[in-house]
Amino acid sequence: MMQRYDFLKAIAGDAGNALAVCTGWGAREWWALRPGDENLKTRTLGLVSSIAAGLALALPQRKVIAIDGDGAFLMNLCGLPTIALQSPPNLIHLLFDNECYEASGGTPTASHVADAVALARGAGYKHAIWVKTPSEFHSEFVQACKRNELTLIAAKVEPGQPGDLPPLRLDEIENKYRFMRYLEETEKRGILSPGFDSKL
Amino acid sequence: MALIFLDNTSGFAVSLAKQTSNLRLKFNPTVDPNMNAKQHAVRIVAGLKKAGVDFVATLPDEKMVEVIRSVEGDPELKHIPLCREEEGIGICAGAYLAGKKTALIMQNAGFLNSCNALTTTCLQFQIPTLLLIYYAGDMGDRGFTTLGSVTEPALQALGIRYVILRKADEIDETLCGAQILAEDSKKPVAVLLTKTVLGVK
Repeated sequence: MMQRYDFLKAIAGDAGNALAVCTGWGAREWWALRPGDENLKTRTLGLVSSIAAGLALALPQRKVIAIDGDGAFLMNLCGLPTIALQSPPNLIHLLFDNECYEASGGTPTASHVADAVALARGAGYKHAIWVKTPSEFHSEFVQACKRNELTLIAAKVEPGQPGDLPPLRLDEIENKYRFMRYLEETEKRGILSPGFDSKL
Repeated sequence: MALIFLDNTSGFAVSLAKQTSNLRLKFNPTVDPNMNAKQHAVRIVAGLKKAGVDFVATLPDEKMVEVIRSVEGDPELKHIPLCREEEGIGICAGAYLAGKKTALIMQNAGFLNSCNALTTTCLQFQIPTLLLIYYAGDMGDRGFTTLGSVTEPALQALGIRYVILRKADEIDETLCGAQILAEDSKKPVAVLLTKTVLGVK
């Protein structure tokens, strides 16, 4: 079985200028593969999918990728029907299921009995699929980008990551502001307030 | 101090002790008989829009159902009905980063549900949102006293500024004012909705 990094590597080149929301150890891997201010690192367990959905709903013309894990996915099962109800076509929900709380000490999650793809389908996702190899993952990802409908692509992975990854030097608040400035630049509109004398 | 005059002929006592008249704890909210829940809801949603809000995530309480119906029926507002308030904080956070002005409408139990997300996403990342929280267990409200008694301390514990909105004619000013504080501080700000401002019993 491969690791999350191998799957991310397979799609990093095809992500284009899609926004990516990630967390935990996967953030370091994603930044190593596709660095840039269009990546957002979050902290609250479970909210990668919801934050990505909020971005996708607010920016319907941009692709948004959620890089989710099984611990977070199970924490936010409540979020799945909400996301399915809105069904943002530009959201691609990626799930790397290593069956453990990797960033919290590595104890098991319930995902060895709870099938994430079945849960997503049950919640209303029209497209949700397990893939076995990075190459399958890549092909489903490219299809999802073209299809332009809410899609979950899930893969079982081994815990762990390459030992030689560059360290992720990230101030999370700086990341948030750079992300917002990136959106301002690429969406060509102001988002952050211009200053304390702006009028409501 | 009480002055009591006894009129022997008519046999009644006149008390001038007005200061003690509140001993009987009968809470008489001043609901304007000319307004009902729908009309109050329309004013609240108008106030939200005046404040600049354009993205609203909701999870109902019976007392706020007209507000949520008004949000749903308003073409200028993006309405996200939720399964759990906590995920709504995440959705609103994402929407804020992309330029939306967000609000959540929920009961105070829902606020308690959202405390982690409010703390580790909104407060930690300096992401504002307007929280319209129905105040179950407010003075005079039966059935929710435990919930009501922890609501304000919980908001205070998180350092979230809040105001209790009771009068319909303060809706616009309060919602605008709260939104200004939220945007400027980049923190969530809460407006606690009461039965009087919602026009319900």
